Amino acid sequence: MTAQHTGGPDRHVEPSRRTRPPLFVETVVFGALVPFFILVGVVYIVLTDFEPVGSVAILLLAGLAGLVAFFLFATGRRIDARPEDDPLGTVESAAGEYGEFSPHSWWPFVLACGAAVLFLGVAVGWWVCVIGAVVGLIGLVGLLFEHSRGQHAH
Amino acid sequence: MTQVGTIVWLSSELMFFAGMFAIYFTHRAVAGPEVWAESTSKLNMPFVITNTAILVLSSVTCQIGVNAAEHLRQRRTGSLLDVRGWGMQEWYTLTFLMGAVFVAGQVTEYAELVHEGITIANSTWGTVFFLTTGFHGLHVIGGLIAFLFVLGSSFVAGRFTHLEATRAVVTSYYWHFVDVVWIALFFVIYFLR
Repeated sequence: MTAQHTGGPDRHVEPSRRTRPPLFVETVVFGALVPFFILVGVVYIVLTDFEPVGSVAILLLAGLAGLVAFFLFATGRRIDARPEDDPLGTVESAAGEYGEFSPHSWWPFVLACGAAVLFLGVAVGWWVCVIGAVVGLIGLVGLLFEHSRGQHAH
Repeated sequence: MTQVGTIVWLSSELMFFAGMFAIYFTHRAVAGPEVWAESTSKLNMPFVITNTAILVLSSVTCQIGVNAAEHLRQRRTGSLLDVRGWGMQEWYTLTFLMGAVFVAGQVTEYAELVHEGITIANSTWGTVFFLTTGFHGLHVIGGLIAFLFVLGSSFVAGRFTHLEATRAVVTSYYWHFVDVVWIALFFVIYFLR
C-alpha cells in the first residue's frame, strides 16, 4: 500500500450513496476498448486473409488498452474512493497533497543537451555520440539523485 | 503519479514491439518456408530455454523485492544466507545478476549464430531475428541500468521513503513488461516454426 498517494489526510472524503468503486469510470473507458480492438482485429484478419502488419498492430492495440485498464483496475482495488468517484463530490474535496514534485531543476536541460548531442552524432560522426552519452549520463545521475543528496538528503 | 506515467509509456512500448512482431510475421509470409526451416534449425533450443527460464525467474525475484520495498524493508535483517530476511536491495541485486546472465546468454547465442553464418547483413531471417531479439536485449540492458539507479538511490538514502519505494515499483513494472515481451518473442521465434 505504498506510494499510491491519491491525496493527503485532508483529501479524505466520506463517500456518498452514489459513490462508484474507485477508478470505475477510468477502467471502463480503457477496458471497453479491449473487446472493440479484438473485434476489429478479427474482422481485419478475415477480410485481408491475415495480412501480418495490420493484424498484429490492431490486436496489440487491444493489449495497449488492456494494459492501462488492468493497471487502473488493480489500482482501484487498492485505494479508497476519491472525490472524483462521487457524482456529488466537490472541487474543494480534491484539494491536498498530490505527490513529490521538484520546484525547479536544471538536470532535465543537461539530459536534453546530452540527447541532442547524441543525435547530432548520428549525422556528423559516431565519435560525437560518445560525448552525448557522457553528458546524458551526467544529466541522468544528477536528475535521479537530486532528491537524495545535499539539502534534500534523507 | 509516477506509476500512471510508467504504465502509459509501457503501453506505447507495446506498440513499438508490435512493429517488431509485424516485421517478423511479414518476413515469414514473404520469405517462404525454405528460408525458415534452414535458419531455425540452427537455433540452440536447450540453451535458449534455460536462458528464458532465468529471465522469467528474475521477474519473480523482482516481485519479491517489490513486496519488500512496499513494506519499506530496505535491506536484510539477518545474515546474507537467511533469504527470508532479505530486503529490497538483496532481491534487486539478485534480479540484476539474473538479468545480466540473460544478456550474456543472448550475446553467446548471437556469437554462435554468426559463427554458423547468420548475420544481420547476409540473411533476411538474420535481419529480423537480430532486430527483434536485439531491441529486446537493449530493453533488458536499459532495465539493468534502471536497477542500478534504484539500488544506488536506495543505498544513498539514510531513510527509505516512498520516493525510493516508488522507483523500485515502477522499475518492476518495466521489468515485468520486458519479461512478457520476451515470452511472446520466445514463442513466436522459437516455437512457431
